[in-house]
Amino acid sequence: MEYKNVLTTCPFCGTGCGFFLQVLDGKIVGVLPDKKHPVSQGSLCVKGWNAHGFIYHEDRLKSPLIRRNGKLVEASWDEAIELVATRLGEIKAKHGPDSIALLASAKATNEENYLFQKFGRAVIGTNNIDHCARL
Amino acid sequence: MPEPKIIGFLCNWCSYRGADTAGMARLKYPPNVKIVRVPCSGRVSPELVLRTFREGADGVMVLGCHIGDCHYSTGNHRAAKRMPVLKKVLEYSGIDPERLCVNWVSAAEGERFAKIITDFTETIRALPPLTEEMTWTKG
Amino acid sequence: MDQRLEALLQTIQKVLPDVDGIIGLKVNAAGHIAPHLFRKEAPAELDGLAIWPKYPTPDTLRLIQKAHPGAKLGMVVRGCEERGVVEMFKHAQVDLSNISLIGLQCTREEAEFCRCAKPYTAHAKLTVGEPIEGVPDPVTEGFLAKTREERLEYWKEQLVRCIKCYGCRNVCPQCFCNVCALEDEKWVGTGWLPMPLPPMYHLVRSMHMTAKCVACRECEEVCPADIPMAIQYRLIAGDVKEMFGYETGVSMDEKPPQLLVLAEGEFERTGLPH
Repeated sequence: MEYKNVLTTCPFCGTGCGFFLQVLDGKIVGVLPDKKHPVSQGSLCVKGWNAHGFIYHEDRLKSPLIRRNGKLVEASWDEAIELVATRLGEIKAKHGPDSIALLASAKATNEENYLFQKFGRAVIGTNNIDHCARL
Repeated sequence: MPEPKIIGFLCNWCSYRGADTAGMARLKYPPNVKIVRVPCSGRVSPELVLRTFREGADGVMVLGCHIGDCHYSTGNHRAAKRMPVLKKVLEYSGIDPERLCVNWVSAAEGERFAKIITDFTETIRALPPLTEEMTWTKG
Repeated sequence: MDQRLEALLQTIQKVLPDVDGIIGLKVNAAGHIAPHLFRKEAPAELDGLAIWPKYPTPDTLRLIQKAHPGAKLGMVVRGCEERGVVEMFKHAQVDLSNISLIGLQCTREEAEFCRCAKPYTAHAKLTVGEPIEGVPDPVTEGFLAKTREERLEYWKEQLVRCIKCYGCRNVCPQCFCNVCALEDEKWVGTGWLPMPLPPMYHLVRSMHMTAKCVACRECEEVCPADIPMAIQYRLIAGDVKEMFGYETGVSMDEKPPQLLVLAEGEFERTGLPH
């Protein structure tokens, strides 16, 4: 029998609210707001309150899917990244870098988003970069 | 001033029959009340009353059997417990609790039925339409 | 170390050998505080024992008991948390036969933060700290002095900020229904902010807090819009006491009015014709 609360940051948007994940016997069973968190000060929005919902959900994607012959099939990360790199390279070569746009995610960290725009500007060579938090 | 809209939830066994009795005696009462027959006044949940206000009713009536006469013996106890609390909720929310009428009418009490309807309609007529109050303050 | 915290630690150490675990609050390495189950196997964890800010621990008990129905547990409870577990017990959400309650009496400062009328425990056999008298609730009193029109205006000002996060429902230890009326589109519509008036969400929730609210004020604490919704719950609690003579958390065996058939004399007090 074990019950503890693990502090984490809400994965849903750039605000960065803090909350606890309630862990009972190694399984996440709920969310509790963190009353001493400097950002959220004990409050959450409806997304944060349900942030644990997807963790054990049967529809959750656990590996990349590649469409082969019109059907999505499970693939390894190496395969998936290989495919994306090859296709992006082909598109850039054929249509130019501005035929590609990048949409960054609020569910990634600042650092990852920084790398992402760097990848867009320096590697691909486009300024077509936007972010999903323009809700 | 538009005519007030009133919805009356009448229990099948007493109040609805009371309305019939009033009708058969050809008693005159205002036509503002739209009657919904329910199996028991205990069937009328607070949510149902609130939704009725939400849909634009100016007044809501819940009429049941007299205490002790309930067809289901204690169904109207449920109404007698919930409705006074609901009146308080309305009061604390700034909605006039007079807009909710809870009363008891037996199958034989046609005159009582007509009087309750007449009095309640007059009460509601004296109040502004609820939809006028239920708008966000522009600011 | 705070005197009360030290006394609580000593009491927990006394109880811990006889139980499977004790529910209390623990501070983590980053200084953040949350409920925790202290166990014999990990005595060092007690170094992180904390008492403030409070959390809805009755819900923690319910979660743990659902997975471990027979567990012998201890639990640190403030007045409101004790009332919470008592009400949950009456609604068959927790089993108190194997639970030792350790009462933690609130300080005046804490009671004032919660505007609490009963900042002390009533059932816990072991207690820590000196019980103090309840403090006044100026917010509720101020509201009560308003006219009907002023009340309506007051709630419009407050509720226009509601983002319907459902936080007040989620955090509430008394909101344990499997099917929630607030998620039923028949009663509470979706898709509009501010919510259409009359505010179905808040009206239905006020109604459902009848004879259940234990005045822990967790709902107000977690509200991102600072809506003082506990005003309504507290006023209704006063009316329920007047009408049905029922007060939450006071007795272990007195049934809440929802489960009762009204006795002779109780109709008169509801103010209905009879």
